[in-house]
Amino acid sequence: MKNRGSEIADIVNGIKKSRRESIARAITLAENEETLFPDVIKRIYRKNMQTRVIGITGAPGCGKSSLISFIGPKLMAAGHRVAIIAVDASSPFTGGSFLGNRIRMQESLEKSGIFMRSMSSRGSRGGLSMSITNAIIVLSSAGFDRIIIEPVGSGQSDTDIMDITSTIVVVLSPGFGDEIQAAKAGLMELADIFVMNKTDMPDVDRAERDFRYYLSTVPPDKMVHEIIKTNAISGEGTDELVRSIENHEKGVDQTAFYKKIFETEVLRIAKDMVAVELEEIARAKSEWIKRLSTSGLDPYSAADKLLNQINNQS
Amino acid sequence: MENGKSLKFYKKPIRVLLAKPAIDGHDRGIYILARAFRDAGMEVIYPGLLPTPESIVNTAIDEDVDVIAISLLNGAHMAVFHKLMTLLKKRKVKGIAVVGGGIIPDEDKAKLEKIGVSGNYGPGTPLSVIIEHIKKRAEEARSEK
Repeated sequence: MKNRGSEIADIVNGIKKSRRESIARAITLAENEETLFPDVIKRIYRKNMQTRVIGITGAPGCGKSSLISFIGPKLMAAGHRVAIIAVDASSPFTGGSFLGNRIRMQESLEKSGIFMRSMSSRGSRGGLSMSITNAIIVLSSAGFDRIIIEPVGSGQSDTDIMDITSTIVVVLSPGFGDEIQAAKAGLMELADIFVMNKTDMPDVDRAERDFRYYLSTVPPDKMVHEIIKTNAISGEGTDELVRSIENHEKGVDQTAFYKKIFETEVLRIAKDMVAVELEEIARAKSEWIKRLSTSGLDPYSAADKLLNQINNQS
Repeated sequence: MENGKSLKFYKKPIRVLLAKPAIDGHDRGIYILARAFRDAGMEVIYPGLLPTPESIVNTAIDEDVDVIAISLLNGAHMAVFHKLMTLLKKRKVKGIAVVGGGIIPDEDKAKLEKIGVSGNYGPGTPLSVIIEHIKKRAEEARSEK
């Protein structure tokens, strides 16, 4: 066992030198909400993050991981330092999870040496992990300038990805549904790039036609109209996809992106702190709360009174 | 971005890398283990079949796992575990325990224990025994991190 100070120093130095052990350890500290982590962040945090974050999202089984196994090395060949974070769902019954995104990437990771981390959603329901921004900050501090995020295989409303990414690729595959699915609000609206994957499947032309039919009803300034067709087994179309990602990145306002990611995180941390404080008050004043709940006050007024306790303390 | 987090679980779950190195395609057992570990509240990282000892170590480091659990049914256990333990030592990896399982003859078990590979359970071992062992080793590993 090391003492706290030297453990922090070890991790901080390791991150600055981009040591994989230290980066990985810091992400675990963030995930486990260890009290060491804020001290690490305070010492690695830099203003003006230059890292771009690319989200590859879509339904389970549409080929996100396989596509990333091509995109990652290609971005690396273009001169970027690339890291990948893939999130899989945690069980609502046991909290455990099966993190299987590596299966499709392992060969590509071994060849390219790209840093890849699997994260469990740990109860979050928006398709990401609560610690994802912390992981982005750690990777960015370690010198990675491109981070690819693969959220949990997503449904229509998993839109948290928009808070932390500068480019969003929405992956579709034959069988995603007809033009009605394309018209629905949510995920579809977020796309900077659409991918129609699995060009080896017989229904792919029909799926593309249905999707284009819908797109033709939306003004081009409201929704991206480009669809890139890929085959994530052979790699067909992935060069074009990488070019399209790089093109989109040229138009990204890094200051605005940074502001977005920062604001979201500050709010999350602040909410967390208030929640912790509330729990402490609730523990310390459990008798008072019991009386409050039987006092005949409606729930809103009672909650107001409870919140006043925080205000009185600070 | 919080969408109602349940605080029931998610308290520092054990992270396990499950792997089948060398040429060994018998993956039925490993899926059963993956499911059992998941249901015991662990985070199971499964990189697919056939990773080499080098890739096991690289993966374990990136994923900051507590335990590497290796299943071998093809008789290559002595070679694989030797290579793996040597690599871990060479890379100065701390805080990761190694457990084994599969078809491992009794006379090899003691040798494996000696180099730090524990468990070495064979077919028919109750899942609860394996889970308890992983929990114990994970706790030891964490105290060394």
